[in-house]
Amino acid sequence: MAARVKKVMRPPPRIADWHSAVALLMGFWVTFRHLMVNLFGFSRGRQDFTVYYPEQRFLHAPALRGMPVLVQMEDGRERCVACGLCEWACPTSCITIFPAETDDQVERYPRVFDIDVSRCMFCGLCEEACPEEAIVMSRQVEIAAYSRAGTLWHKDDLLVPVAKLKTRIDYLRANYGR
Amino acid sequence: MGEDVRIIVDGRAIAAPQGATLLQAMLDAGLDIPHYCYHPKLSIDGSCRLCSVKIEGMPKLQIACNTTVRAGMVVHTDDPDVAQTRRGVLELLLLNHPLDCPICDKAGECWLQNYSMRFGSRVARTVEPRRKHGKRLDIGERMLLDQERCILCRRCVRFCREVSASGELVIYNRGDRSVLDIADRRLDNAYSMCTADICPVGALETKDFHHRLRVWFFTQTASVCPTCANGCNIAIDESHNRIWRLTPRRNDAVNDTWMCDAGRLNYRFVASPARLRQPLALRDAALVPTSWTEAIECAAAHLLRVRDAYGGGTLGALVSPHLTVEENFRFGELLRVLGTKQIAMAVARGPSDNFLIKPEKAANARGVRELGLVSGADDGLGSLIDAVKAGRVKALYVCGDDIVRVLEAPRLAALLEALELLIVQTLEQVPAFARAAVTFPTTTFAEKSGVFVNFAGRAQRIMAAIVPPPGWLNDGEIFTALLNAVSSRQERFNPEAVWAHIVDSTAQFSRLTLERLGTQGAPLSPAGAPAAGQAPAT
Repeated sequence: MAARVKKVMRPPPRIADWHSAVALLMGFWVTFRHLMVNLFGFSRGRQDFTVYYPEQRFLHAPALRGMPVLVQMEDGRERCVACGLCEWACPTSCITIFPAETDDQVERYPRVFDIDVSRCMFCGLCEEACPEEAIVMSRQVEIAAYSRAGTLWHKDDLLVPVAKLKTRIDYLRANYGR
Repeated sequence: MGEDVRIIVDGRAIAAPQGATLLQAMLDAGLDIPHYCYHPKLSIDGSCRLCSVKIEGMPKLQIACNTTVRAGMVVHTDDPDVAQTRRGVLELLLLNHPLDCPICDKAGECWLQNYSMRFGSRVARTVEPRRKHGKRLDIGERMLLDQERCILCRRCVRFCREVSASGELVIYNRGDRSVLDIADRRLDNAYSMCTADICPVGALETKDFHHRLRVWFFTQTASVCPTCANGCNIAIDESHNRIWRLTPRRNDAVNDTWMCDAGRLNYRFVASPARLRQPLALRDAALVPTSWTEAIECAAAHLLRVRDAYGGGTLGALVSPHLTVEENFRFGELLRVLGTKQIAMAVARGPSDNFLIKPEKAANARGVRELGLVSGADDGLGSLIDAVKAGRVKALYVCGDDIVRVLEAPRLAALLEALELLIVQTLEQVPAFARAAVTFPTTTFAEKSGVFVNFAGRAQRIMAAIVPPPGWLNDGEIFTALLNAVSSRQERFNPEAVWAHIVDSTAQFSRLTLERLGTQGAPLSPAGAPAAGQAPAT
């Protein structure tokens, strides 16, 4: 069956359109403004124009979605009950959980909780799916490793004390209607 | 039953057999009517009220499970009253239901979850605290009870009264104080784990599947239980290339919707670390791992050596009742090419009851007999033993290790001692077979496809659920490789093609194509019956 081709009439390209010229000039203006700020900004009292990473770290906003990590409660246990919703929600299937039983009230904990960092795309769906506020997107963005095995983070690598995650948890409660 | 009656449901005409319940008629017609307490294989209880429908001419809504169909009945299930009733029933059920879903093993296949999402209201109006009851109660060898999750549908109570006839579970108290518990003895009957299947919520859970894995990660494969000759239909729940549980699959001709606990728990051997993962060859009185190619060459050379030295009649074989009909058929071809006359089968026996558990602890003993490989009351075993003792059989090809359970250790040792050559195909390394020239690993029911014939002569398909390691040869492939090595054939083992050949060539299996077997199986034709022009068996 021959493909049917329909020719669509398009207006010829006109470089001299006034709105494209304006957009071009606006782009030039942004570049020029940065040039001027970097050349003469010191006169207004600005000291550094660069964060000297890794000696200095930029404190990311709480809205930043870095590595998903597990919330560790004050008693050292994870808050996760291994319900598997993040594993199900994950679009890249980078989470692997095997649950096991505990003797306490919670009944259940993740025996294995692995996140393949090299597959994670920081979408934050795991955090949204979590009914226990147990997995949150941290400010951790340094995930490079020397081997593929190093990109597989186990439960011990993922546990972060709840005190360190307070800003993100507060942000979640304020913005996700929890 | 008499003629079908015609009823009208939501403007659609439905035919149902006389005397059927309205709910079953609607379910059979493919309508999705929510229900909890109704179970097709249990008596009617009418306790959940969820299947209420509007029937023209009746003043109030009627529960469909306890209403018999009547000709000309006009039923509405899309009525606002029906929707409101469902919403109300679900709201009342959720009054005291703990929101345990994140840690409940039923989550994902829970009827309360599903119906609440589809028919319930999303808002909870209660302010009272939820009632507190026992959680994780150890009520039996294999069962746990969570009284808070129970919605009092009494399916399990009826199961224990009517199916297992043991009556362990009862409901104490009345009204909103009702609570499910065990009576005077623990829930230890041979079918106790079926209560977890029929429980619509996570109140009854098996210890075996407690906090193991989420059900939505499973791939289900329709198969047949390998534990005894009954051939209960099962679904294999696979994830991460492992079996996590076996659940019964409905087949009214075999197991209704039940299966025994022993069969349900008999899956761990598939992933057992003790399993042989490589062929073994005997070198300097020790069994050493070897490659598949070498093992096949070695076994073929041994078989040919014995045949050429003493004749094909000195080769004996023990066929396995655990292998599929196709594999045994191919084994039969191999034995015919080698000239073997002494073929026997050892079937381990064990306890049985008059419900599902059968004494023969193998799935396909009947299939081997129907193929005509073995005959006699003891499946030729006595004759084979005599022949080995008399020195008429010098080499033995043993499939499976049932012989270890059938013969006492000294008799077996004496039997094997008299042999010049032993080739074995087993699941695990067995000390009794330490002198085997070649030991092949055998393949379990979950790793291959084929057909089993149960004790009553019903052919049923099994399907591969998990993938064996790369390079693995299953039993049929081993037989085929040996067949190619001892003859000039160049064949491959394709179970479908072998089955098609069996259907064409064997009277009992005539016309039982794989399509016809489907997922429910079909009975064999009577032996010797003509292959064509015969009314199809049901």
